[in-house]
Amino acid sequence: MTSSVADPPTLPQARRKVFLALFTALAIALHTFEFLLPSPTPWFRLGMANILTLVALFLFDGRAAWTLALTRIGVGSLVLGQLLSPGFFLSLAGGVTATALMTLFHRLFPRRLGPIGISTLGAFGHALGQMTLAWWLLVRHPGIWNLFPYLLLAALLTGVLNGLAADLLLGMLRRHRAFAEERAGAELN
Amino acid sequence: MKQFWARMLPGDRVVVLSLLLVAVGLILLQLGRAPGRTVVAEVDGKVVFTAPLASDRQVSLPGPLGTTELQIAQGQARIIASPCPNKVCIRMGAVSDRGELLACVPNRLLVRIEGGDDHEESSYDLLSR
Repeated sequence: MTSSVADPPTLPQARRKVFLALFTALAIALHTFEFLLPSPTPWFRLGMANILTLVALFLFDGRAAWTLALTRIGVGSLVLGQLLSPGFFLSLAGGVTATALMTLFHRLFPRRLGPIGISTLGAFGHALGQMTLAWWLLVRHPGIWNLFPYLLLAALLTGVLNGLAADLLLGMLRRHRAFAEERAGAELN
Repeated sequence: MKQFWARMLPGDRVVVLSLLLVAVGLILLQLGRAPGRTVVAEVDGKVVFTAPLASDRQVSLPGPLGTTELQIAQGQARIIASPCPNKVCIRMGAVSDRGELLACVPNRLLVRIEGGDDHEESSYDLLSR
């Protein structure tokens, strides 16, 4: 997505950029806010920032979701001062696995899977990515996988809740004036 | 709740239910594992040491390379020192469940956790080697 002054962006392009920037900012804010919440274990996070990744995926496309997720993890870690720390790599591994699963399944089943299913898959991917990296990098002991089912249950819960939140947010956004025009265009086609 | 259910597409339900099944299955699998009762150490296939897992102690097991230190503490067995080059056995950590193993291949040492007195391992009439 490069642009120059020579060719002014079209309205949908500009709209996409502006909204993606807003979503990214909001995701970073949620990422940071979540860090402040007390957590029963360092592994357990609500993953609310993922709501915005889902919205970007469903409103735009997989590319937007990747942009948002990677920017959120990079800038979010920078804000928290944990860039390049073990926590950052865990976050990155979880985020990359989650986004990969979400974009893959969204592409495979665009009509059968809604935000809740995709979000749950993302939460599962996050748990899996984090666990694999933690096992590979920090604790080389298979005992760490004993934790995995419990992590998976927690991921299911947060995944469904985040999916629901994303679904509600998507409903609001699609009714918004900025997207009403696109919807009208889509209905005409 | 009804509205929540309506927000899920059929595919969503499949995803959530199947992941739930996986998680529950894994937990059941974990709970099904039985804790062991005795620690059996073998060097070159010969049993050199047996002790209940419940009693804390530390033993030196001599092997071809030197002595390996086996520690039994808080119902778990672990190798805390070994003359082998890679220290894989130390990194295997602690074991406590029936059937779990600690092995130090260079020093020909094998530590097994067994169930103890319920004779499930000796159900053969005869075992010839």
